[in-house]
Amino acid sequence: MITAILSQDLDIQTVTSAAWIGGAPMLCVTFGIILALLAEVIPTLAAARPLAFVGSLLAALFFELALITDPQGLIFQGTFRADSASSSWGALFVTAGLLSWLYSQRYYKLEAPFKPEHDILMLCSVLGMMLMAGAEDLLTFFIGLEVLSVPLYALASFRRVRNQSVEAGLRYFLLGAFAAGLFLYGAALIYAATGTFRLEELREVGIHSKLGIAGVALMASALFFKVSVFPFHFWVPDVYQGSPTPVTTFMSTGTKAAAFAFLFKIAFMLPESSAGTLAIISLLTMVVGNLGALVQTDLKRLLGYSAVAHAGTLLLAVTASLVGDPLPDGPLDAALYYMAAYVFTACGAFGLIATLEGDGERFTRIESLRGLGQRRPVLAGALSIFMLSLGGFPATGGFFGKYFVFSSTLRADMMFVSAIGVLLSVIALGYYLRIIMTMWMQPAKKDVPIPSAYRPSSSFATGMCVFFVFALGLAPGWFLDRLL
Amino acid sequence: MANFLFYLMALGAVVGSLGVVGSKNPITSILSLLGTFFCLATIYLLSGFQFLAAAQILVYGGAVMVLFLFVVMLLNLGNPDTSAAPDFIGKRRVPIAIATSICLALLTFIGVLGQGDVQAGNASLAEVDTITGLAELLFGSFLLPFEAGSILLLSAAVAVIVLAKRERSQADKPQTSDTGEAVR
Repeated sequence: MITAILSQDLDIQTVTSAAWIGGAPMLCVTFGIILALLAEVIPTLAAARPLAFVGSLLAALFFELALITDPQGLIFQGTFRADSASSSWGALFVTAGLLSWLYSQRYYKLEAPFKPEHDILMLCSVLGMMLMAGAEDLLTFFIGLEVLSVPLYALASFRRVRNQSVEAGLRYFLLGAFAAGLFLYGAALIYAATGTFRLEELREVGIHSKLGIAGVALMASALFFKVSVFPFHFWVPDVYQGSPTPVTTFMSTGTKAAAFAFLFKIAFMLPESSAGTLAIISLLTMVVGNLGALVQTDLKRLLGYSAVAHAGTLLLAVTASLVGDPLPDGPLDAALYYMAAYVFTACGAFGLIATLEGDGERFTRIESLRGLGQRRPVLAGALSIFMLSLGGFPATGGFFGKYFVFSSTLRADMMFVSAIGVLLSVIALGYYLRIIMTMWMQPAKKDVPIPSAYRPSSSFATGMCVFFVFALGLAPGWFLDRLL
Repeated sequence: MANFLFYLMALGAVVGSLGVVGSKNPITSILSLLGTFFCLATIYLLSGFQFLAAAQILVYGGAVMVLFLFVVMLLNLGNPDTSAAPDFIGKRRVPIAIATSICLALLTFIGVLGQGDVQAGNASLAEVDTITGLAELLFGSFLLPFEAGSILLLSAAVAVIVLAKRERSQADKPQTSDTGEAVR
């Protein structure tokens, strides 16, 4: 009986060598998860825990960088595409994971016994992002979205003793579940309209029926929630403020990059007539983000609103790809460059807040930064560099990110939209410069203690961030030639 | 007949899920959920997915439901003090009405749009609804999402531990007299 079943000729293709290579980054991360779990159980392996995390992510980074120049195309029976774009996005996710991990060292006090679970959840989340960026059908993408989100729900409420953190987790969970529902409904409508889930076949068939377009709209709304653009951005400041800062670091960079990676993939489904709506949404997002940030007194909330504004700028790149940039890969490359600069800048900025925060919440308010320039000049200098880069100051990575996005929108003949976008970016400088002024020009209050936490891992991470912010700002050609 | 049964079951599923969120007694909630699962299984059966229907009844209607009921009864949540429970619907009449009408409008909109637009899927029933066919789909075409699903379950398990487990430093301390309180 059993031999009869076994001898049945199943039509299952074996995993090809291209699939091994293309899936190597995901395999590395999976091995990291398994190793970290084992290290939890076997006492003698306890020392290997950080090694499992860093080692697996570094190996994944190596493979992602190798895949950029040596793309493998469609693998896993057409459910995943390992091309240079998905690998570039993948490298960004891994970088965001590594940087947030470095900043999370010694951040947690009460929750320190749960640090291994923290690391494992972070690895799972990185894996989900990789799946999202490479997904070639809606099912794979949805699983990736959930693998990304489920760990983040727990991570957001990781500081269970603080109500704010629990509230952030619950809020993120409820809205995330809502977004997942929207996505599934949209995907079901697309299936009903076209009879397929595969992006490859959808590209051939195209989406013409109204039913399919309704599905695309629902799906886009779910992604808009994840990237936090205008009508779906209300959760951002609360969740960013309530979550532990290293988790915010990861959430603001990785999640956004992963959702944008897929938004670019499904941009072909959006009807061309929706370009105007998209442009309006991006501009409104920038307005809401920038004006919201202007009035904040809490640093994490401010950076949350600034993250909303940045999402608006990135959505302009999606709009440009829809309108038709004469350079076929122009908008995607611009978005990748923008996101690369944003990953290093935002990781550095949030990470420094985590460093300042230590255990208390004292240093999350802007006014608590007063006099930091005199007391901790190196730290204040690094934070100033990140603020300038977020504002798009020349010689930093943020400048070229904005430059590439706006030149892409200009190529797509969106003069008016680009002009307003640039203007709004200038407004943004207002609140970034306010932070710098507070640090350097206002004297410290007497009773505020000097932040003393010195952590080698976060100093290393800050050094890396500063280096790459300048490298991306001074040598854009090098990165464009090699990595895009 | 089949159409009538479908609408009956769809209505049952909606009513059941409303019962899950609306009921104050957890046991009623769970039984409504069971009803929803049963209706869904019937819809699968009507669509020709016998294996899926059987799995739905066995796994969800059987195993998962028993776990739910077991936990609720073990924690003695079955008899809540209804006077203290917050009146969920009463305070939020307007938002709930708005949300419901938006949902209904969306449904009607899509129902009107969908007339004649629906395409048949490219996976034929005979292919899917055998063990061999399912295996080919799971370990062939959809190998990657299937394997990723295992990571999803794993991460969910770890997430639950993070959220639900007590601090280790406290758990390691020897318990004195008040063990019942400590377990809770």
